[in-house]
Amino acid sequence: MDMNEIKEIFFQECEEQLAELESGLLKLNDGDRDPETVNAVFRAVHSIKGGAGAFGLDDLVSFAHVFETTLDCVRSNKLEPNQDVLKVMLKSADVLADLVTCSRDGGSVEDSRTRGLVKELEALAKGEMPSGGAAEAPKPAAAAPAAVAPTDDSGFQPIPFSFDDDFGGDDDGKSVFEVTFKPRRDLFSKGNEAALLLRDLSRLGDMAINCDTDALPALEAMDPEETYFSWTISLTTDKTEQDIRAVFEFAEWDCDLEVNEVAAQAAEELPMVPVPFDLSALDDEPAVAPAAAAEAPADAKLAAAAARVEKKEAAAAPAAAANNAAAAANAAGQTIRVDLDRVDRLINLVGELVINQAMLSQSVVENDASGTSAVNMGLEELQQLTREIQDSVMAIRAQPVKPVFQRMSRIVREVADMVGKSIRLVTEGENTEVDKTVIDKIAEPLTHMIRNAVDHGIESPEKREAAGKDPEGTIKLSAKHRSGRILIELIDDGGGINRERVRQKAIDNDLISPDANLSDEEIDNLIFAPGFSTADKISDISGRGVGMDVVKRSIQALGGRISISSRPGLGSTFTMSLPLTLAVLDGMVVTVAGQTLVVPLTAIVETLQPEASAIHSFGANQRLISIRNSFCPLVDVGRILNFRSTQANPVEGVALLVESEGGGQRALMVDAIQGQRQVVIKSLEANYTHVPGIAAATILGDGRVALILDVDAVVGASRGQSMKQDGGALKADVSLAAAG
Amino acid sequence: MASKKADKGSLKLVPILDLNEASVLHGQLTNMRGNDVKIDASEVERVGVQCVQVLLAAAKTWEADSKNFVFEKVSEAFEKTMQLIGINIDHLLAKEIRQ
Repeated sequence: MDMNEIKEIFFQECEEQLAELESGLLKLNDGDRDPETVNAVFRAVHSIKGGAGAFGLDDLVSFAHVFETTLDCVRSNKLEPNQDVLKVMLKSADVLADLVTCSRDGGSVEDSRTRGLVKELEALAKGEMPSGGAAEAPKPAAAAPAAVAPTDDSGFQPIPFSFDDDFGGDDDGKSVFEVTFKPRRDLFSKGNEAALLLRDLSRLGDMAINCDTDALPALEAMDPEETYFSWTISLTTDKTEQDIRAVFEFAEWDCDLEVNEVAAQAAEELPMVPVPFDLSALDDEPAVAPAAAAEAPADAKLAAAAARVEKKEAAAAPAAAANNAAAAANAAGQTIRVDLDRVDRLINLVGELVINQAMLSQSVVENDASGTSAVNMGLEELQQLTREIQDSVMAIRAQPVKPVFQRMSRIVREVADMVGKSIRLVTEGENTEVDKTVIDKIAEPLTHMIRNAVDHGIESPEKREAAGKDPEGTIKLSAKHRSGRILIELIDDGGGINRERVRQKAIDNDLISPDANLSDEEIDNLIFAPGFSTADKISDISGRGVGMDVVKRSIQALGGRISISSRPGLGSTFTMSLPLTLAVLDGMVVTVAGQTLVVPLTAIVETLQPEASAIHSFGANQRLISIRNSFCPLVDVGRILNFRSTQANPVEGVALLVESEGGGQRALMVDAIQGQRQVVIKSLEANYTHVPGIAAATILGDGRVALILDVDAVVGASRGQSMKQDGGALKADVSLAAAG
Repeated sequence: MASKKADKGSLKLVPILDLNEASVLHGQLTNMRGNDVKIDASEVERVGVQCVQVLLAAAKTWEADSKNFVFEKVSEAFEKTMQLIGINIDHLLAKEIRQ
């Protein structure tokens, strides 16, 4: 494993820590005062700082350090985490996330932003602390170099190494112990091993170590069974001296051991003697990051020190520690990190397997009409097995939507700040799992929608108060599984859609004719039409010239649907329905004008054989089908996709009753149903080009390519057609393009 | 059998370097005195403090002899133990594996 990989792991862990941090802060914001929540928040920042120090990410270390100090005050009940405090902390979490991103991808965070927050954090730490408190708050930049006593006489220069952050700052229930340990020959001959004792010691807390090798003679002069090394260890722990001594319980008589508790201030001055083989750190946690090394003058030794700590991290990072086999095995049993490419490769292969299995089944069926041969039976089992494998592989990619939701809370904060609104984001069902590809792709449209909701949806506090509402607006983001899809809802308690304005805008933009007769729902959905934006002026927030049509297009590109319902004065609800995976689809295989098409099963409500008496024509070539005393427009799929030039006779075909988001029901007419099966989705965009009305393609059992119908696009186009004929309201091409 | 000797100047360390191996290793290194030495620690799974002492004493001696003493390959377990016990062998690592 090379350094880059280890660094990558660090950044992955940072993301997890940042998520922990944010969710903890949000819990505190909601009034949670569980000490474990505060601890979790503290640990997250502390871990990021530690790891960052190991990689020499100085900006990150400095900021995390100040942040941690303030959090420490909360942890030790010196600072009440009220709304104002948490506001600063949430902003700090955002900056910390940015610093992590910059450290990973390059770039820099605006200096003034960081500096401003550092001041705010420091003020919080100082303001709430008793008189002696200021001294307890470690300063990120100051303490370092003087802390090292240059006592070495062997020509090695002292290396500035700060312990202020990890060893001086943690006075919240933790003590700093200086342990000196010199094993005697007997310790080894009795079966003890110094390395194991040190390992056990490192598990008690944050530890820094210095091995004194001065007594080591030249090779010929040495006795290989004698001991020459001795150690000075600085241990920050919440354990007692007794606990520390317990580590040496069986070796205490065979070593010189001293355990002394030292004051935090004194600990900063621990003479960690620089030796030829410089100090390195222990423990699985990268906790001995030299925060102040960043501020020390740059010299070669410093760089070397950073590199050495990096080395320590290099060894500490992989899964669990090699020096703790049992723990490693335990940890490995729970989760492993797997490169996404590997999972994707596996998914592709399973996809091919499914196709191959289908092809095999088909050729067997063709040669064994009775379907009773042993091969046929065996194939059924194979099919079952393939399906199970596929489900299991898909489950590997399933991830909770939590990270995306958490990102949204930051956007709400930032945008609300910018527009001077006070908004609370409530999330629900954040552990709902969905394919990682879907998660990656919903972030962008969701961001846009959230920005819109904050900027346009929620009214200003004054307006809200005037309307008798809570001046603080609420946006609720929820996720749940429904009928094999994931349903994401974004609900705001703002003013709702101003239908008059939307309608006027649509008329102005030539999207509808002035006399078009549209339902409320249809007016609301106009905001998804291309080029539609109600923003009077382009703002930094949502009016970037990118409209909700782009949101709709991204959702549809994922095989999803989006709709809006709005209640004037009460708010709007955006509903997104997305497939759980983009890799496979349960579909109905149908024939249309000699072509084989696949209709996603989730869209189909029912299928029916139309009778001549149920078909009603009106206008030039509009037809309705009567289903249980209600009428539903009948859409000839072959005609709308231009597979044929005239409409087919409905009585000779089959009608699929489909439901589209916001578009009500339509009966799609196809020539025949071939069957129902799971198909592996192959992107048309990636392999060919986008085709309106078609969502993707698949390979059938006989090796032919079949197109997967984009039901929403077809319904949208049919609606456009009919409305156009009714009075030229919504243009068909607009509708199809928006849907595609 | 602390090591398998591939040739005069290279030494492959065995997976378990415990107290019993310290004397063996000591003997082998003593025999290699005067030559440049490349140590292959890639298969080391466990290394005790006393074998580390022998290796470092050898490194010191080789340095005094102005001969090369280089760890050509090291296993993760080896490297981690070094860090655990506060020993830095960076300057002894072959350039190719130095981070």
